Amino acid sequence: MGACLRISLTISCLLLIWISASASIPSRESLGIAPQDLSYYKSDVIKCKDGSKKFTKEQLNDEFCDCPDGTDEPGTSACPQGKFYCPNVGHIPLTTFSSRVNDGICDCCDGSDEYNGNVSCPNTCWEAGKVAREKLQKKIATFQNGVTIRKQEVEKAKQAFAKDEAELSKLRSEEKILKELVQKLKEQKERIEKAEEEERKKREEEERRLKEAERKANESKNAPEESSHDITDQAPEKLSELHNQDAMEDHHDSAVEDKNDYTTGTEISDNQVVGKVANDHDDTIAKSGHEADGRSDGSSFSHVEKQHVVEAQDNAVSKANTDYPGTEEELSSHVAEQGQVSDSTEGLSREELGRLVASRWTRENAAEGNDEVNMAKEGLEHDEDIREENHDGYISDSDEDHKFEDDDLEDDQDAEFGEDHEEPTGAYSSDEDDKTDYSDLTVSGSSSWLDKIQQTVNNVLQAFNFFRRPVNISEAATVRKEYDDFSSELSKIQSRISRLNEKLKYDFGKDREFYSFYDRCFESKQNKYTYKVCPFKKASQVEGHSSTQLGHWDKFDESYRVMLFSNGDRCWNGPDRSLKVRLRCGLKNELVDIDEPSRCEYVAILSTPALCLEEKIKELQQKLEDMNTGQPSAHDEL
Amino acid sequence: MPSPADRSPPILLRVAVLFLLLSTASAWKKDEFRNCDQSPFCKRARGRKPHSIPSLSAADVSLSDGAVSARLLPSQPLRQNTAGDDPEADRDPSRILLLRLSVYQGGVLRLQIDEDPSAPRRRFQVPDVLLPDLDDHRLWLPRLSSPAAGSSSSFYLADGFEAVLIHDPFEIQVRRKGSAEPVLSLNSLGLFDFEQLMVKKNDGEDWEERFRGHTDTRPHGPQSISFDVSFHGADFVYGIPEHASSSLALRPTSGPDVEHSEPYRLFNLDVFEYLADSPFGLYGSIPFMLSHGARSSSGFFWLNAAEMQIDVLAPGWDDSASPAKGRIDTLWMSEAGVVDAFFFVGPDPKDVLRQYIGITGTPAMPQEFAVAYHQCRWNYRDEEDVAAVDAAFDEHDIPYDVLWLDIEHTDGKRYFTWDRVLFPNPKEMQGKLAAKGRHMVTIVDPHIKRDDSFYIYKEASEKGYYVKDAMGKDFDGWCWPGSSSYPDVLNPEIREWWAEKFSFQSYVGSTPSLYIWNDMNEPSVFNGPEITMPRDAIHYGDVEHREVHNAYGYYFHMATSNGLLKRGNGMDRPFVLSRAFFAGSQRYGTVWTGDNSANWDQLRASVPMILTLGLTGLSFSGADVGGFFGNPEPELLVRWYQLGAYYPFFRAHAHQDTKRREPWLFGEHNTALIREAVHVRYSLLPYYYTLFREASVSGIPVMRPLWLEFPADKETYNTGEAFMVGPSLLVQGIYEKRQKSVSVYLPMGQSWYNMRNGAAYTGGISHKLEVSEDSIPSFQKAGTIVPRKDRFRRSSTQMVNDPYTLVIALNGSLAAEGELYVDDGKSYDFEQGAYIHRRFIFADCKLTSIDVRPAKIGGKFSSDCVIERIILLGLPSGAKKAVIEPGNREADVELGPLTLRGGSSLVAVTVRKPNVRIADDWTLRIL
Repeated sequence: MGACLRISLTISCLLLIWISASASIPSRESLGIAPQDLSYYKSDVIKCKDGSKKFTKEQLNDEFCDCPDGTDEPGTSACPQGKFYCPNVGHIPLTTFSSRVNDGICDCCDGSDEYNGNVSCPNTCWEAGKVAREKLQKKIATFQNGVTIRKQEVEKAKQAFAKDEAELSKLRSEEKILKELVQKLKEQKERIEKAEEEERKKREEEERRLKEAERKANESKNAPEESSHDITDQAPEKLSELHNQDAMEDHHDSAVEDKNDYTTGTEISDNQVVGKVANDHDDTIAKSGHEADGRSDGSSFSHVEKQHVVEAQDNAVSKANTDYPGTEEELSSHVAEQGQVSDSTEGLSREELGRLVASRWTRENAAEGNDEVNMAKEGLEHDEDIREENHDGYISDSDEDHKFEDDDLEDDQDAEFGEDHEEPTGAYSSDEDDKTDYSDLTVSGSSSWLDKIQQTVNNVLQAFNFFRRPVNISEAATVRKEYDDFSSELSKIQSRISRLNEKLKYDFGKDREFYSFYDRCFESKQNKYTYKVCPFKKASQVEGHSSTQLGHWDKFDESYRVMLFSNGDRCWNGPDRSLKVRLRCGLKNELVDIDEPSRCEYVAILSTPALCLEEKIKELQQKLEDMNTGQPSAHDEL
Repeated sequence: MPSPADRSPPILLRVAVLFLLLSTASAWKKDEFRNCDQSPFCKRARGRKPHSIPSLSAADVSLSDGAVSARLLPSQPLRQNTAGDDPEADRDPSRILLLRLSVYQGGVLRLQIDEDPSAPRRRFQVPDVLLPDLDDHRLWLPRLSSPAAGSSSSFYLADGFEAVLIHDPFEIQVRRKGSAEPVLSLNSLGLFDFEQLMVKKNDGEDWEERFRGHTDTRPHGPQSISFDVSFHGADFVYGIPEHASSSLALRPTSGPDVEHSEPYRLFNLDVFEYLADSPFGLYGSIPFMLSHGARSSSGFFWLNAAEMQIDVLAPGWDDSASPAKGRIDTLWMSEAGVVDAFFFVGPDPKDVLRQYIGITGTPAMPQEFAVAYHQCRWNYRDEEDVAAVDAAFDEHDIPYDVLWLDIEHTDGKRYFTWDRVLFPNPKEMQGKLAAKGRHMVTIVDPHIKRDDSFYIYKEASEKGYYVKDAMGKDFDGWCWPGSSSYPDVLNPEIREWWAEKFSFQSYVGSTPSLYIWNDMNEPSVFNGPEITMPRDAIHYGDVEHREVHNAYGYYFHMATSNGLLKRGNGMDRPFVLSRAFFAGSQRYGTVWTGDNSANWDQLRASVPMILTLGLTGLSFSGADVGGFFGNPEPELLVRWYQLGAYYPFFRAHAHQDTKRREPWLFGEHNTALIREAVHVRYSLLPYYYTLFREASVSGIPVMRPLWLEFPADKETYNTGEAFMVGPSLLVQGIYEKRQKSVSVYLPMGQSWYNMRNGAAYTGGISHKLEVSEDSIPSFQKAGTIVPRKDRFRRSSTQMVNDPYTLVIALNGSLAAEGELYVDDGKSYDFEQGAYIHRRFIFADCKLTSIDVRPAKIGGKFSSDCVIERIILLGLPSGAKKAVIEPGNREADVELGPLTLRGGSSLVAVTVRKPNVRIADDWTLRIL
């Protein structure tokens, strides 16, 4: 190929370009060799680095591959596994694949990879280097500022952590006191109830005797009242609310309420009443259907209904899954049983059929543009949401009492609405629960508050005279009310404790630099979707009213450079959704990019001062220095 | 707990139903497709016994216009059917049939049978498949010989072969001259049946057919044709794609010891998640069957584009006491059309291929880039994604030549448009790829979104260019864009119009480095019967869709290919990949095996499928590397790359729901293995390109069954695991997870050299080989020379000037031969002789390069490329140097590795830097 000749020709071309850098023009003996490697090639007989062979100086860069590892051809493309070094004076030196040498494409900014004359590559190193240097300088500046912010954040985190720990220990002592009080009140209440019960029995006995006497006397009838009066009386009222509710519409909201409820308190297990109401009136619910359009005003009973809907759906779906895993025939027979569609696909309109078949490939959009099916699909989505939430909820679903705590509900809802407010920065506090009514519980220096409570209770306890018969109704009511109030306070404290415990168990980085992330979410809007990333909690993709879970908090990875969210919503025929958030140094906490490179596997970039590490600055500065050195001063004038 | 059904409101049920429909959509839907019993023509024909229907006899046999003509009449007297209750017994053809037999150069007999002109309607004869100049090659028959009693007429067919028409009952035979036993015969079992067109009587005769809620009006009634064809002296039959199978030879579908099986179905269908082993019809149809046996090879082709079902009958299928030995009977059934059949006499398997190619055309010569590696995914989402994938190939030093964009690149599946959000600067994007010598392919499907604001739709609907439904309105079917219409590409005028759409002016955002992919052209119609177009849809010339169905995709492919040809002013070879195909598709481009799945069975099936396509003309074919549906485990993906690197068409593709699987996503080790597999292909590109040239001249495919190269070696007749790449290389796939060893049969007659380490193996026996993870077994046949290029670039484009390596595997007499073909890789200048075609001959320690271009051909193409390395396998040691003439130049000889990879040992005599030009004549003596 006459490579030698070409090289020298090309070198003279390069000379024209590199007027003042002639000293660094590589000869055949040094072509493509990194400076630190030059000494390796000094001797007359050179070893292949892999030890396979030896070669002579004449064989160095002679366009024939003698060493499979490419030792003998650093400056040509002859060895497929070789590496080519371009000095790129003025920019960063580049070690590239031998396959780039004389391939007609300029890879090195100094043009040294293209020397056979087929293509002329101007030296762009200084220009490109300038841009790169500026970029690097900017990056260094960002790091420098970021390091300061990070320090502040770490300091804040330290304080916040201490504060949370302090609060936790205080709450624990409060819990202890309050528990005792509640226990006392409970005993008192039970005693009262026992007394009342005795009185009632006595009264009944008397009444019976009286009636017996009367009956005997008058032969007239008088039916006794039933003890379950309360329940039967209430039920129809609540049911009517139920009827006015559009269950499908309400799922999302109620699901969120649900979660909030479930997370508060875990101790008192007394939901039988509610369960019974629901069960007793199953038929009514089923018959009444969902045709009514009225919106619920947030009645506590919506939970009851919702839960049933969920069960029904779950059952339907799981039945479908287990009993009918197979073909469309089986499906159609299932459908036929339900009296819905006469034959699997024949019952579909032409368009539905087209969409259905298309959906095999796309696993989606089967229902788009068709109102009826669309609605069903929406229902399905909601259904998923609900199941998702319930899954969380069931862990602590024993406490139905909270459903009757209107205050609580309202607060939770407020918090939730707060979540919908968009903040321009895209970051906001995440934990609606924490924003609820703990202020009244945990005002700092609240020993007076506890004292007050203790006093009140003692007053109540003392005021009640057990030996007075009949039981004083107003006093009994006071005890009951106090009991209810304080056990609710207790459960609030307990839930706060469990939340703090929950928080403190996380790994917040080696300097707890991510401590503030616990209460924050980061948002990014991309086309029709809004992405929400709430570290330590979950990530979701929101489109209008529907929200898809991209994942639950999993862990930090790659030494706190990546946050992983996993086990998100299922994908059709795909994996559970997951999100990988790559962190990088920036002055603000900002979700700058989110992407779905593979179906249902999301990646995002979050810039944050937490990643602005001091040690990295030195590294960057070194790099900048390297770029500047070797740059002849003449170029500064260019 | 009450049962859920008790209280599920309707809406919940709908939810459950929808959920079910979606969640169960994950397997081949057997019941969505008709089986033989559901197709009256198939059920009836398949149920017949030999000689059970009234036979036809040939009358008025005569020569006219140099061909044999005759009339087919009911035999007199009518044979009495033993099964008296057979309703077919009294079905009496009302009119005579016309028969014509003609002979073409090279051993081809053509049989045509059609109704006489009094039929109520002209039956469809498939146009534009046979070569337009076919009649120039017809032999003018000078005479008919009739032996005693005039019971038959025979005539010359080819040297050593004659054709015989037996008169009553009529039967066609192809015989070796002077032999009583035929090579091929038609109707020797008396199963010929031809349902003649009828006019609907007024007695409410109902010809309608219903299938899964779809009604086929069948206005012309039953019109099927069926007959038997026997391949005499055959051990196996092959061909009639497209079916997925682990067997290369066609398995019997009927007869003793055959489990209930459907016939091989030829009906172009978009089959969701097709099975790896099934006679069921897939995306394309080629009604061409080949037979091979120790004594002879032959072939039979029925040019008919209607649904066809073909039974391969096991000996004894007819319950006869003495099953025929050494003969394979087949039953051919078609729903409509005419008999236009071709008999190929062989006698060698390559002769059969040449004879078939002689009437349907040679494969198009592809551009060089198309032979390299293609990277596809549904979908590379946007320009950023494209740039990132492109850059990552460079970052990992893995070459690739073509990046593909699937349907999502368009504006709402309106082909010829771009999603302007995702692809705002398509030209710039293509330009960036082109700057690295890379190309792009975009998808263009035949379904046109019914949207008046879409210029293609508007234009075609104004011009009335769509296929019509049975009522005469533009057919409206559902596909990706929703409601769609389909251009009637049977009409040449409409094909012209379609071709224009590929001009740079018309296809906005296209550049000269952009090529095309035709998908869904079976055609796929999501809400149609069997996911395709209703059979009673109407095409140009009042042709029913049932008559032209299997060729729709072919015409579409043709129109697109011609579009690219026009776009480049006839100077740029088109590249069009099509999923549907028919006989002749090889003239228009490439095909692949459609939506396969990521599992080992489908990896295995890909080889018999591609080999079968090659045998039936479609040399340029491949399977989606990695498997379209599902996620391949890394080991499967690596094995697929290692095998796919030898497919003629080498493309990785994946469904949009699958995880990303670009080569660098499975850890460094797997990246290295995949890089190595891709490098194997790039290093063999000169050899592949030479093979593509051979295919474009002779029709002999690039990837070949072993028996095509070793017709006498019986061991090879049903090998579907190993295959030949050209005449020189044998490749064995690895089709099992964690396979430790594999048994490879190396055909007899020569020894074989392992392409990794140069070790020699004896031919004619099976070798048990250890399997390594870094490659699949591959061997070079002794006596061959393979040209390579061992420098790897970003794409094949940058390899143009790179030097060659010749690998010479010497046979027992220390001789070898091989070829190298080089042209500009792009234009048609080669047709004028602008190419280099060398034959390298090694004998007596002398390597000679000879020009094999015809002496008188003009045209100029030159190259400065040299041979940098010559590797000699099997040369006894002692070589000192090489002397090159002219010039009496010396080159060093030393021991060198077989491949330039770390760890390869020095195994072969290597001539260092001979630097002889490939364009020149020279000799090189080893001293």
